[in-house]
Amino acid sequence: MKNFKYIFILGVFGFLGACKPTITAPTATGSVDFTRYIAVGNSLTAGYADGGLYLTGQLNSYPSIIAKQMATVGGGSFAQPLFTTDQASGTGYQTLTGFSSTGSPVLTPVVATAVRGSIPLPGLGTIPLFTKYSGALENYGVPGIKLNDILNPAYGNGNPYYERLLPGASPTNTTPYLDFVTAKSFTFFTNWLGNNDALSYATSGGASNDLTDKAAFATTYNTLITRLTATGAKGACATIPDVTTIPYFNTVTIGAILAGVQKVAPTITALYISARNTDGTYSTRAATTADLIVLTFPTSKISATTGYGLDPRNPIETQYVLDANEVALVKDYVSAYNTTIKATAAAKGLAVFDSFNFLTNLKNNGLLINGIGLNSNYISGGIFSLDGVHLTPRGYAIVANQFIIAINSQYGSNIPLANVSAYNGVLLP
Amino acid sequence: MRRILFIGMMLFPFLAMAQGFQVNLHGQKQIGMGHTGTGLLQDGASVLFNPGAVAMLPENYVQGGISPLFFNSAFLAAGANQQENNKNQVATPFNVYAVWGPKNAPWKVGLGVYTPFGGLTDWGTSWTGKYSLESLNLKAIYFQPTISYKLSNIVSIGAGFVYNHASVDLTRGIPVSSSTASSGQAELKGNGKGYGFNAGIFVKPSQKVSLGLTYRSKVNTTIDGGTATFAVPNALAANFPSPNTFSSSIPLPSTTSLGIGYYPTNKWTVALDLEYVNWDVYKSLDFNYGQTTATLQNTHSPRNYKNAYDFRGGAEYKACTNVALRFGGGYATTPVQDGYVTPEAPDANRIYGTLGFGYKLAKKLDLDVSLEFEHLMSRTQTNIETNLAGTFKTDVTIPGVALVYHW
Repeated sequence: MKNFKYIFILGVFGFLGACKPTITAPTATGSVDFTRYIAVGNSLTAGYADGGLYLTGQLNSYPSIIAKQMATVGGGSFAQPLFTTDQASGTGYQTLTGFSSTGSPVLTPVVATAVRGSIPLPGLGTIPLFTKYSGALENYGVPGIKLNDILNPAYGNGNPYYERLLPGASPTNTTPYLDFVTAKSFTFFTNWLGNNDALSYATSGGASNDLTDKAAFATTYNTLITRLTATGAKGACATIPDVTTIPYFNTVTIGAILAGVQKVAPTITALYISARNTDGTYSTRAATTADLIVLTFPTSKISATTGYGLDPRNPIETQYVLDANEVALVKDYVSAYNTTIKATAAAKGLAVFDSFNFLTNLKNNGLLINGIGLNSNYISGGIFSLDGVHLTPRGYAIVANQFIIAINSQYGSNIPLANVSAYNGVLLP
Repeated sequence: MRRILFIGMMLFPFLAMAQGFQVNLHGQKQIGMGHTGTGLLQDGASVLFNPGAVAMLPENYVQGGISPLFFNSAFLAAGANQQENNKNQVATPFNVYAVWGPKNAPWKVGLGVYTPFGGLTDWGTSWTGKYSLESLNLKAIYFQPTISYKLSNIVSIGAGFVYNHASVDLTRGIPVSSSTASSGQAELKGNGKGYGFNAGIFVKPSQKVSLGLTYRSKVNTTIDGGTATFAVPNALAANFPSPNTFSSSIPLPSTTSLGIGYYPTNKWTVALDLEYVNWDVYKSLDFNYGQTTATLQNTHSPRNYKNAYDFRGGAEYKACTNVALRFGGGYATTPVQDGYVTPEAPDANRIYGTLGFGYKLAKKLDLDVSLEFEHLMSRTQTNIETNLAGTFKTDVTIPGVALVYHW
């Protein structure tokens, strides 16, 4: 009897513990068909991170996060061109292995495992060829692609990331990107093309890769959106960030370099750069804080012996500097591109994630999510990966949520937000 | 030359020991009657409910009770559709009382050991708010020697001294990622102590009515030399000295209770209590570390609690000489203002109902069983310190049992 009582009491307690309160989530007010969602875009869409495309980055791409969230409200399967686990390092990437005594990060490359060969191409030099992917495909993100490239039939030969998705081998490919992504029907899309039309110019310090002409950008963007919506698909577009908001341009600064130089040579008061004049020619002048140095600038080049950077006759070369005039030029183009993007999307009733506003706000004000303080700083900011341009899994989750918010607001859908806390920032040794 | 210093990377305040962590489980008879008892003469639990009433108690008592507390909290992050629940963990508030005085003497002495504040919450290490809190185990055990004196057959007074032994064990994620992509973790563990007093007056003007008023003082509880442990990637080891020490202090608020008992027949007892909790002493929660760095700094988190009320009512029916049936309920307002709700004990206004059953096991031995169900109103909040946004909803189920020996 005593035992029975005991068991009974335990049973009652177990039952009590099982009563969990339930909170009802809001229901959708609109209906959107998420059966086949495709992602159109560049490296950001592909999940590129830490200077390379590799499996972990792909698994944390923002389209894959959106798709995972969509799956709970009727979304279909979402296939990505993943590298195999044997070739998980993909095209190779950087890891953070420590900090120097002065606090500078020490990056160590992880070698590529998904290279199947290389091919010399006229005008492009020798390009690597990556392991082909031939399975189902919903994430069409192609690192390096510009909006300006999407109609080019030969593009699948010179861009190895695109080449690996195509059935044919370089240099026999003739399928333009836009034809490739629209070949199979789809019901929903995200489109974040256009970054490289400005970014490639900027990351090269304005030295190569001209900015895409504004009018050409508008025409191509129209063609793109017309094709994507031709069969009634709904979708979301994203604007292009102000390139000066990313750590690639804000980490190695003129002030920091000068301070380093002055420790050894206190009399030096200026660094010299090769800078753009308003007429487009270049000449040497002293650098100011308005001139941005790229993250990859080898500061060891600064030398009292050669006078590099210190003597007006041997300035820091233009490919390492996005100088004030170049900044103004890029900003002007990005602004025009974004006007096109917003107008085109509005005309078709598409959702828009305004990444320009979002990243500008992030840089100016930082961001606090679930107790995680985030900002645009290199490594410690939590959002940008080791290349200073692409994002960490946490950054991609935040971008996915921004897309979701835009989609839900435009279409009355109820795609749940991803849990940002579950995604990591930069991995620290 | 890429000057990456983790300066000011994370100034993180601990949100520990937040709100609503008052525990009102002080006697099974009283729980059964909706936590009333300030104006009643039930048993040794008067040591807590009203030290003034102790001298009026008809007998001497030794008693102990336990109230396993099933705290079921759910969180739905803003914009999400998957709710998260805290893990099943059973807190065990208890109460032990002894009351003694010579027969027919006007005085009695008493001792109470009870748990008026505490919290046990475990949300796990993978939930949305893990950078606010992973788990908290907070206990405050009050030891209260008491003396009570009967001024007349109508009025008695009493007072007690309170020593509080507190312990806290709190874990929280640190939003940095190791090479295996796992988060850092901070653990704060320590013991504290504090002192206070309480006093009460009990009036029984007639056979039909009794009244009580009790004041329980604020108990400033200080934790010194607690251990702070940080598990972070090696690259940040210098930023988070570990093991480190911490100190903190928290004012456990004073409460003032007014209670009335009414006895319409000799089978019925009806009671009402009003409790006023002076929470607004809790302005901020500050942590000071033994070693600070640019990253790990002393913290000051505003709390800005407001005073809270608890309205209680209950009744007892003596079905026969051996059996008492009890029921009651109440409504308590939250001290936590909008924007300050945190996962430690996601507080909100609460409503509760209680049932009780008393059985005379032997001439001098009572068994009291109580059951309480408490519902915290769902509360949708964005915390001003963390931006953790979402809806909390909590149900608490508290069975309890006590043995009371009296002579």
